[in-house]
Amino acid sequence: MQKKGNKYGTHRVIEPIGVLPQPANRIDNNMDEIYDNEILIDVQTLNIDSASFTQIEEQAAGDKAKIAEIMLDIVAKQGKHRNPVTGSGGMLLGTVEKIGDALKGKIDLKEGDKIATLVSLSLTPLRIDKIKDIRPDIDQVDIDGKAILFESGIYAKIPADMPEGLVLSALDVAGAPAQTAKLVKPGDTVLIIGAGGKSGMLCCYEAKKRAGVTGKVIGLTHSEKSTKRLEELGFCDYVFAADATKPVAIMEKIESLTHGEMADITINNVNIPDTEMTSILATKDTGIVYFFSMATSFTKAALGAEGVGSDVTMIVGNGYTKGHAEITLQILKESEVLRKIFTELYA
Amino acid sequence: MERGCRYGTHRVIEPVGTLPQPALKLDNSTDKIYDNEVLIDVITLNIDSASYTQIKNACGADPEKMKSMISSIVRERGKMQNPVTGSGGMLIGKVVEIGPGFPDKKLKPGDKIATLVSLSLTPLNLKRIIRLDPESDQVDVEAQAILFESGIFSVLPDDIPEKLALAVLDVAGAPAQVDRLVQESDTVCILGGGGKSGILCCYQALRNVGPYGKVIVVEYSEQNADRIRDLGLATHVIVADATKVMDVYNKVSEITGPKGCDVTINNVNVPDTEMTSILITKGQGLIYFFSMATSFTKAALGAEGIGKDLKLIVGNGYAKGHADLALNILRESPEIRELFEKLYV
Repeated sequence: MQKKGNKYGTHRVIEPIGVLPQPANRIDNNMDEIYDNEILIDVQTLNIDSASFTQIEEQAAGDKAKIAEIMLDIVAKQGKHRNPVTGSGGMLLGTVEKIGDALKGKIDLKEGDKIATLVSLSLTPLRIDKIKDIRPDIDQVDIDGKAILFESGIYAKIPADMPEGLVLSALDVAGAPAQTAKLVKPGDTVLIIGAGGKSGMLCCYEAKKRAGVTGKVIGLTHSEKSTKRLEELGFCDYVFAADATKPVAIMEKIESLTHGEMADITINNVNIPDTEMTSILATKDTGIVYFFSMATSFTKAALGAEGVGSDVTMIVGNGYTKGHAEITLQILKESEVLRKIFTELYA
Repeated sequence: MERGCRYGTHRVIEPVGTLPQPALKLDNSTDKIYDNEVLIDVITLNIDSASYTQIKNACGADPEKMKSMISSIVRERGKMQNPVTGSGGMLIGKVVEIGPGFPDKKLKPGDKIATLVSLSLTPLNLKRIIRLDPESDQVDVEAQAILFESGIFSVLPDDIPEKLALAVLDVAGAPAQVDRLVQESDTVCILGGGGKSGILCCYQALRNVGPYGKVIVVEYSEQNADRIRDLGLATHVIVADATKVMDVYNKVSEITGPKGCDVTINNVNVPDTEMTSILITKGQGLIYFFSMATSFTKAALGAEGIGKDLKLIVGNGYAKGHADLALNILRESPEIRELFEKLYV
């Protein structure tokens, strides 16, 4: 009889008691027996968060043996791979080895399925038996080891018809296009800030698909290269390059593009600070701003909208929404040009 | 009359291309106004408390020094934006002139208004400080100010004393958002429900959920919790530390069952309450963060970390009609009015 586990995995927290697995300093990574609501994974590859990997690489001065040593040390101390400097984790790729009795038959997984976990490694119990290969250019590390997925943990099955590398790179930003799919309605005018990046291109595709022929998708990019690439993709009705930290200039541009109507929905994907006001001013008073950028300042957004008397709804980007992996992988199935670009750039 | 920009960029002197709030210097000349502006004869500046405390400390609480510090800030910047704290405040004054392009056609000269946009972006032409008390952040002045087209304001009512009205207008956004978000028979949790903004939220939430809904208050202070119980502003009151995730989760779950709340309103002004809010709210539910101590990344990564699909909203202090709604609560509830008079006036 397996022991009953907590949905969020608090049964594995060793210290401090009473916290969730993510903020915990140490969690139990004993995999000899699993709790009734856990999934045991035979791990193949760790996809270390890029901020975390860069830090480890610098600390090791690029030496692979030293990188391996640092990683093993993190897991030995914490029972998980949460970088003590950056606080971040990453995700993993592996095969389902065992499913807890309480979950069996209730989820769409069976033993032997290949999955990517979409919750952070910073909260995932992990045991590393051996580090086999380190690929610093794409932050991936092949290992022999095991991991536990909690009942609340999210995952995606790796489709048989797509290369793993491509799937991982898309799943990494799956939240953004999926939220776009849910927010954008036919006829909407959508502004995508940071439209030329990985997550931005997926959002542009999805926005156009949902806004339809009566809608309008505007892509704001930064570099010349990404501007050209986005124009060639043809998802946007209008693409322009500008500095997203200049609210007045961008507001005027959007005013002229929308005949003063402004955007119904603005999706902010740009990972630099000080783009909150730009997002607010480019959006209709009754519109929605979705902040996916981790550089967003809560107070700048909150006080900024009040300061200009804008009644806009501002949403904190949640990396998870139901069906996000399916929606995002579907984009790569539908769009051959995008799949080609993703394969070249990220896989 | 010259045409002005809706957001007042026509008054920005430097750096050019920014909005009035981040600008270093605004044009505060009030001899003539732009066609979409309102000219106000200022009576009282209600300086933001962080800003006022900083000025008071820097001047050793000497009123004359404080006066000259405030005057010099306004002289340099054309607005009362504290260069250390970055914050402003609000003002009370009488309308002198209204540009023909100003959108609100009901406002008329002579109306007494409170501006609800920050002083940190309001052009201010300060002539003289009439009265300053280091213990009160309300400073009486002889001055003129400009309200931009996008500026929000509230005409002060005759039936509510000024100070009471100001205290309520300060947090007017919160109950207005509750009114939009909370539906009949919802289960609502208000974290930090015993404070000023919390009490208004409770009142509105209870009204909206009706007889079959639940309003759960989580409050740190025993005294504040008693107040909510005495006023009957919640169906359930929990005394707990909102940063203790599992403790609050367990206590709220006892009331709601494992699903959790439909809507959670976070009014707690201490850090690290994001995960608590996320855990007690049901999947597909909604969390409104009014607390300025909210960390964007903690909220975003926290929800993803436990795979919860819910809507996390950044509290917007402005919502259409928010001032009227908040003032009406004082009219409808003599108990809240009496309490606020005691606490904040």
